[in-house]
Amino acid sequence: MRRTIPLVLTFVVGMYPIFAFFVPHASISGVNQWLDRALMIVAAFALPLGVVNLVGMNLTKIKQKREGWPYAIVLLAGLVVMAYFGVIGVITRQHTGFHPTFQMLFDNMVSPLQATMFSLLAFYVASAAYRAFRARNVEATILLVAAIIVMLGRIPFGDMLTGGRMTPLSEWIMNRPNAAAQRGIIIGAALGAASMSIRVILGIERTYLGKSRD
Amino acid sequence: MNLKKLLYIDRRIIYLVVAIGALIPIIRPIGLPVEPTDPVIGLFDKLESLSPGDAVIISYDYGPSSEPELNPMSSAILRHCFHREIKVLIMAVFPLGGVNMAIREVERITSEFEDLEYGVDYVNLGYKDGGQAAMKALAVSIRDVFPADVDGNDISAMPIINEIRNYDDVEVVISLATGIIGEWWADLVNAQFSVPVAVGCTAVSAPKYYAFLRSGQMIAVLGGLKGASEYEELLRRNFVWARKVYSDPAEMKLAATTGMDVQAIVHVIIIVFIIFGNIMYFATGKEKGR
Repeated sequence: MRRTIPLVLTFVVGMYPIFAFFVPHASISGVNQWLDRALMIVAAFALPLGVVNLVGMNLTKIKQKREGWPYAIVLLAGLVVMAYFGVIGVITRQHTGFHPTFQMLFDNMVSPLQATMFSLLAFYVASAAYRAFRARNVEATILLVAAIIVMLGRIPFGDMLTGGRMTPLSEWIMNRPNAAAQRGIIIGAALGAASMSIRVILGIERTYLGKSRD
Repeated sequence: MNLKKLLYIDRRIIYLVVAIGALIPIIRPIGLPVEPTDPVIGLFDKLESLSPGDAVIISYDYGPSSEPELNPMSSAILRHCFHREIKVLIMAVFPLGGVNMAIREVERITSEFEDLEYGVDYVNLGYKDGGQAAMKALAVSIRDVFPADVDGNDISAMPIINEIRNYDDVEVVISLATGIIGEWWADLVNAQFSVPVAVGCTAVSAPKYYAFLRSGQMIAVLGGLKGASEYEELLRRNFVWARKVYSDPAEMKLAATTGMDVQAIVHVIIIVFIIFGNIMYFATGKEKGR
């Protein structure tokens, strides 16, 4: 029973939206709309689940004094403080937007920290480009030339150097070879997702149920 | 001179060169010219084709890490909409700060417009969990998905929500997105409900969106700072108010056009490093760099 009921539930809630998509009658779509609303509520439960996991893992790390355990304290402190002011802000509603302390922490800590992490990319890209971007073979050379054209096409210097030819050339690379390759990747990923969904709906893929004790 | 030493150049020197290259245009902006491209013109033309009173959804699907690239886009698009008297529904489906981005941007831009009325001309619906489920449910009723605005006020009394009930009343969805969320708008909202979708994204995400642009599932793609600076340029070329706004030094500090100076210099530095690295690679007999 512990496995049968989840399998039946998965089959029903997985098949119904597909059925409703092809049969858009009011009586059918009404239930489907209810399922969509239920999905938003179920998705919200992923957050506390993640919090429980995060707290459990980091508490264990602190207890066992594993490498980098002081960072786990910082992480948990950040989680508690932000969650506290976030929840208090919603309960009291004495202001517009978020609780002032929550907004202050977000603006002065979360925001600059994340922006700094992303900004570091420029330095790593420059270093990696110098060391690894080599014309080792024909394929690497094509990639190298395309990258330089696109990079030049994304800045005004490219057009200045070539009399306005670099942007159209860069756009051609993005619109033709790049779009074709991206399309292949997107279609491949979509087919993979569809086949995995079918396996889950039909009960062929059962790893989400955890290890069997039956 | 030993060429191998140049091949194994200390990475800290590279970091220093990039840092200097980034700092100079910040201290002394160059004002490099920007030429708008078709993927950006698509959104400008779409908003120009709308009549006063038409509605758009702007979804803030990014967090602080993408702020330098996407905030200038948001500012330019919001200004364009409000000057054209287009009604704007603001929302967020990105959990890590999307709604914070929306609050900050909307507060800043709406303060420039004296006649704007909250709940009539625009509304900030806040964050909704559930991503694709929320996007799908908006097709039935915006009010059901967002019964309250970002401050917890009941939205049923707001005139804008009585006029704009679902996607049927929305002319275009603009997602300022990081990660996969822009794809969801195209896959779900455009494909199933035929709502035109435009995406403003970080430069690293832009290549994948060209596939959606080519297939017609998106009407426009604004890629990174360049996309934002092109939109600012389109506004400057077409409107007197934009020339005034984007000549204000305080505003120019936040504008993508200024950021493009930095990006241009850093791109040149990276290209020079790539070419120099390859020259050293061949000069040293194809030795592998560390």
